[in-house]
Amino acid sequence: MIRRIALLALLVLAAPTASSAQSLFIGAGLGVPTDPLDARARALGGVGIGLHGPALLGSDPAAAASFLLPTLIMTAQPSWVDYGRDSGDAGTFRGTRFPNVGIAYPVFRVGVVTLSLESFLDQRYQARRSVTLDLGEGPVEATDRFLSNGGVSQVRVGFARPVGERLRVGVSAGAFTGSVTRRLERLFFEDSDTTASTQVERYQAGGLWGYSGNSVTGGASLSLGTFAEVAGSVTWSSALDATPSDDTDGAARSFDLPLTVRLGATADLAPGLSLSAGYTRADWSVVDDDLMEGASAGTTNSLGVGVELSRARLFGRQAPLRLGYRKTDLPFALGAGSASEKVWAGGIGLNLSQIGELVRAGVDLALERGDRSDTTLSESFWRATLTVKVAGF
Amino acid sequence: MTRVREAIAEDAGDYVMRKKMAVLLGLVALGAVACSEQLPTGVDDDLLPEEPITLEVRLGWDEFAANLQVFGGYGSPLELGSTVLAHKYGGDLEARTLLRFLPMPSVVTVTDSAGTQRADDQLTLIGGRIVAYLDTIQSVSDGPVTLEVGTTDEAWDRRSVSWEFAVDTVGEQRRWTEEGAGPVTPVTTGVWDPALGDSAVFLLDSAQVEMLRDTSQVNQGIRISVLDEGVRLKVNNVVLRGAVIPSVRPDTVVDLTAGRRDFTFVYSPSPESVVEGIRVGGVPAWRTVLDLHIPVSLAGPAALCAAVTCPLTLTPDQISYAALVLKGSNSSPAFQPSDSLGVDLRPVYQRSAMPKAPLGPSLLGPLGKKIAPGLFGADAGQEVEFPITNFVRALVAGDSIRGFPPPNTLALLSVFEPASLTFASFFGPGSPGAPVLKLIITAGPTVELP
Repeated sequence: MIRRIALLALLVLAAPTASSAQSLFIGAGLGVPTDPLDARARALGGVGIGLHGPALLGSDPAAAASFLLPTLIMTAQPSWVDYGRDSGDAGTFRGTRFPNVGIAYPVFRVGVVTLSLESFLDQRYQARRSVTLDLGEGPVEATDRFLSNGGVSQVRVGFARPVGERLRVGVSAGAFTGSVTRRLERLFFEDSDTTASTQVERYQAGGLWGYSGNSVTGGASLSLGTFAEVAGSVTWSSALDATPSDDTDGAARSFDLPLTVRLGATADLAPGLSLSAGYTRADWSVVDDDLMEGASAGTTNSLGVGVELSRARLFGRQAPLRLGYRKTDLPFALGAGSASEKVWAGGIGLNLSQIGELVRAGVDLALERGDRSDTTLSESFWRATLTVKVAGF
Repeated sequence: MTRVREAIAEDAGDYVMRKKMAVLLGLVALGAVACSEQLPTGVDDDLLPEEPITLEVRLGWDEFAANLQVFGGYGSPLELGSTVLAHKYGGDLEARTLLRFLPMPSVVTVTDSAGTQRADDQLTLIGGRIVAYLDTIQSVSDGPVTLEVGTTDEAWDRRSVSWEFAVDTVGEQRRWTEEGAGPVTPVTTGVWDPALGDSAVFLLDSAQVEMLRDTSQVNQGIRISVLDEGVRLKVNNVVLRGAVIPSVRPDTVVDLTAGRRDFTFVYSPSPESVVEGIRVGGVPAWRTVLDLHIPVSLAGPAALCAAVTCPLTLTPDQISYAALVLKGSNSSPAFQPSDSLGVDLRPVYQRSAMPKAPLGPSLLGPLGKKIAPGLFGADAGQEVEFPITNFVRALVAGDSIRGFPPPNTLALLSVFEPASLTFASFFGPGSPGAPVLKLIITAGPTVELP
């Protein structure tokens, strides 16, 4: 058993969490926060707190207290994005990331220990511009290419347990990790097949920064009889420190991160039908003094609602149906105003192996259709989230 | 029994569980792989750091180099593999070809009247010819030229022979009786018309062939010269062909070929020593070496200082392009190239050991830089660039090579030594066309986190 746990822990730590970018808003400020939610939370509006049943979510540490079996959870999230800018630039891109990989392990009936690797800030994008240079022998075409590759992840260790029959509490400690490479290249004669194109070396500048820092999240959820459940959590983060590598000319930096408060609730409207809602608030203005370019949007709010029909069945198995809506403020915008994201979501779960209420293996799928916009950029996207749960190993 | 059943049931459950886990994990992996990545790419300035500046900087000779020196004496005409004929070319250039033939075969294999292949050494020599193959591109003449073949009357040493000396070795030095590999015993003349091909044929009678094929005569050699003035010809090869009739097939004439053994040339006058300027090539070959001293910082030009803080400390990454820029000159018409010349640049590892200092690998590739002959004639004064970006970057970086500082001495030489009688001439320091170092510098603000 210990060997299995070690193997699974290794699997969790080795899994990538942000293999691709999913928005051009990543080019603003520190990037785009990547809520490390599972498919069920996404389908229910995506705030990720106060849902019925066990969950391994950094935003709701108390939810892990309901795990009765050792459980491995992996989430994959492909996106397809169309974008357009007021300058006329338009295009499409797509990518996949793994926002959340983790295990929950009940320990001696005392509580549940969790270990997870979550994405936190996505900073992967590239940009180009064409320039015309005067090198004394007439104009020369060149292309500037900027690549930002990497992001911030978080390794989180948590503990959750029930207190009495109605209360669940949880706490987790996270360590920020990850790195970003920022490189500016100038390519000369890129569209030319002349000899000069092979003789003029490209110009490169930039470097690599490694991230470090800590966070602590505490939360609790309270069952209000048989009809409702409420939950809340608070995340405190230390400064996010960025340390340049030895061969990087850029300076070391430190960014303050906001205190994040989340509230959520689920009400049972009828047997098998529940309504959930959640709210998140974070004041990103604390990072303004640390930014060399641009500024944050200040306080960001996120509000999501969703309904779940848990008694639906598919192929003879329980297959909950979900529908949700979410509106989220983005902390950084490319234009002068603020940016926000609005998403309609739907989803389905399929419990492949179930003993009573105990799900031993299951898969959840969420499909979101949304848009993000500020004064200069608008994006519309399809985003799928697939979560696999395996328990009792 | 109950425990056994429970164990079997547990094993079966584990099997199903493992199978489902494998399926689920495979599903996730498949989903991830199936979604190919496209990094979001923006084309607006607000997604990029501040624009760097790129401009061309030209450093004068005194700003980047010193200690130019020309060395000669690399290789000999024998090593060239081809020879030269000239008569009053470019003023007073004279050149004559000297050669010796290999033994001509004394046995031929022919088919007799019975259809049997037989080796026959009873051959009747009836005549022959010398065939000279000339380079139609590199040869300079206005039309047909007359060539003369004679046999040398004096022994000559193939390695040290020159216009003045038949032998010029450490142990023996002996002048020609007549300068220019003379005297000779005339054999025949022939006409080469470049419009008709690359071959010049000198017809011989049987006695002449018999004489030329006799390799037992140590003095024996052939001298070919050109009689028309104002021409310079390149001879790629010369062979002796003898026509014989085998005894077993008297109705058949067989050509026997004797290739060349020694193949060299003598010429006069030798190029004048280089007083100033740069010389590359020739036979024996010339090399030019110079030391580079790249400035550690730039205080100009004004456009650079307008964009970045001056003085700008140079870093290797900022040097997008570096080239040694030379201007061709036509200092010596007799040795002016008639075809492209391949010029190479190589680092000199130990300048103090010149002219025998070891050289590093080519900076311009195996073919060097091809330079059109016009640069040393009608187009003299025009620039030619020799890219040395990585060499200059290494100098700026100061990276040691196996514990030694990077060499700062460059040698200009022909790709092959010797490559031709002609050589490349460039203006040197102190002249209006002095070498310059062309740099394309790109500099910008440090890339930081946002």
